[in-house]
Amino acid sequence: MSEQRFATTLLVPGGLWLLLCFAVPLALVLAASFGSTDDLGNTIYGWHPENYEQAFDPLFVPVLLRSVGYAVATVALCLLIGYPVAYYIARYGGRWKHMLIALVVLPFFVNYLVRTYAWVALLADEGLVNGAITNVGVRDTGIKFLNTDFAVIGGLVYGYLAFMILPIYAAIDRMDQALVEAGKDLYGTPWNTFRHVTWPATFQGVLAGAVLVFLPAVGDFISAQLLGGPGTYMVGNLIQQQFLGADNWPFGAALTTLLLVFLSFWMVLYLRSAARASREAAV
Amino acid sequence: MLNQKIDRRDLLVAGAGLALAGCGVGNSGSGSKKETEKVVKAKPDGDLVYFNWAEYLDPALIKKFEKRYGVKVRQSNFDSMSSMMAKLRSGNRYDVIFPDQSFAPKLIAANQLLKIDKEQLKNYDNVWKFFHDPAYDKGAEHTVPYGLYATGILWNEEKVSDMTGSWADLFKTDAKGKIYMLDDFQECLGMANLRHGFDLSTTNPDEIDKSKEMLIDQKPLLRGYSTDDIQNMINGNAWIHHGWNGDVVNLRNQVKNPEAYRFEKCKEGIPVGSDTMAIPANAQHPGTALLFIDFMLEPENASQNVAYFGYPMAVTGAEAAFAKIAKDDPAVNITVEDVQNGQQFASLTGEDKALWDRAWTEVKAA
Repeated sequence: MSEQRFATTLLVPGGLWLLLCFAVPLALVLAASFGSTDDLGNTIYGWHPENYEQAFDPLFVPVLLRSVGYAVATVALCLLIGYPVAYYIARYGGRWKHMLIALVVLPFFVNYLVRTYAWVALLADEGLVNGAITNVGVRDTGIKFLNTDFAVIGGLVYGYLAFMILPIYAAIDRMDQALVEAGKDLYGTPWNTFRHVTWPATFQGVLAGAVLVFLPAVGDFISAQLLGGPGTYMVGNLIQQQFLGADNWPFGAALTTLLLVFLSFWMVLYLRSAARASREAAV
Repeated sequence: MLNQKIDRRDLLVAGAGLALAGCGVGNSGSGSKKETEKVVKAKPDGDLVYFNWAEYLDPALIKKFEKRYGVKVRQSNFDSMSSMMAKLRSGNRYDVIFPDQSFAPKLIAANQLLKIDKEQLKNYDNVWKFFHDPAYDKGAEHTVPYGLYATGILWNEEKVSDMTGSWADLFKTDAKGKIYMLDDFQECLGMANLRHGFDLSTTNPDEIDKSKEMLIDQKPLLRGYSTDDIQNMINGNAWIHHGWNGDVVNLRNQVKNPEAYRFEKCKEGIPVGSDTMAIPANAQHPGTALLFIDFMLEPENASQNVAYFGYPMAVTGAEAAFAKIAKDDPAVNITVEDVQNGQQFASLTGEDKALWDRAWTEVKAA
């Protein structure tokens, strides 16, 4: 058996997994998106492209814009919080480096849904945080945290922050320290050195983090469902509503397919940019 | 090991098999009538897989049942009728489920509920006569009534006053940002229908359109849509909550100032209904399920349950338990007359269901 043959064999488990857990479900979603429903809400497979027509109803434009807006805000906040954290860990973490990265990942051991519920208990009008605020006497009445745009964005940032930190950490860690020293040798101020040396050298990590945060944030429904209010409906909520509320899987599947196409567009843009960057690096 | 060749055909077969299994799940819709007529004896045939609303049955009774019959009760919860249906549709198997009267007929029509042999239920005679032949289940062949409920308005008297006994109270501007509506398309559109003076379950597109507009106009006043009226009231996020009568009783059991939490049945009319206990046709332990249903019909257990969850049950012998709760507050009571005279949600299908769904989606997306 040749080495190449052996290597190909190694691909089988992963390939099978992708086929069964990704390709087959995706095909089912596609098939369902052209279906209709019976009185019980069961999907009947068929040819009903009108599910897609329905999805282009102007009614849904604000929902999509809101989702993208929340996701962009989430990316921005994750970057603001995540970059300094990643920078510190990579450059000054020393022997605690791996431990600190483990701490960043630690919250993922608890399910996102459960963690979001914890925020509900913390931030409720008469919850723990407001209890502390009123008891200490900072304010007479609590602050309305929950059911606002900020709460939804906060939930998203909390949920996806690690996806921003990890790639940036990897990029900074990989970066040649001598570059920064060279910048300083050329009388660069810390800010100028960062702007002209560190930032460009780690930009691909930032881009990767932005994509990793943006994509799931656009499709998220948990944050808006639990922390949001009547005016925070996102695409994910709309899709979830079709599956669990309206018994309309075909329409939900059509929306899912369109969202996938929309997200793939950004994914492809990112992949092309990453490919270009590595080509340039090779030159 | 290294020499083992993975045949491409094997892969295809395995993949196709799984794909077919997947399609099967998607199509687990209508069963055969025969499947619903299986002969089942009321005796333990395994652990009970139980599927109900959360906090909707006294946990102490679950323990008592487990002890008496030496079985475990494996519990899971749904938060709306639609999500119950979605779970059933995706092929999950349960032994006892609690559909309400507007969803039970759909399940019955699709041959998804086992016929319940009343001979197997020692306590069946305790069920109120009205429910021996309810409109939602001819001859009560597939269901046994559970909680009776009415939808109205819960409020916290320490925070709001001047409640008027009308659905207009859900539009009180001085409680702006502290009002919740039930996250349920039928309850919300139904409320707006009643406030407009339309039939609760109207399928007239113009009327549904007006009700939709009313709900959209209400949104700036709302804190959210949620079926968790108990928690929202307790944690102070809600002062006024579109909700169910029994939840206020349950809620009073959980707070230090129970007298502050009130309930009103609105004068424009209210939806009343009953939940039911039923056994899915594909239940794996229908014998245990029959025992459980019978257990819940024992007057002593029904009384204990009523005291816990705050809803009347249509069981002779449990009235006293409810009267005790309702004594200070007739607003939470529901009598058999209420059930007979009140407006009940129709079981919407086809175009009518699509009309309601679309209106609700527009409300949520607005």
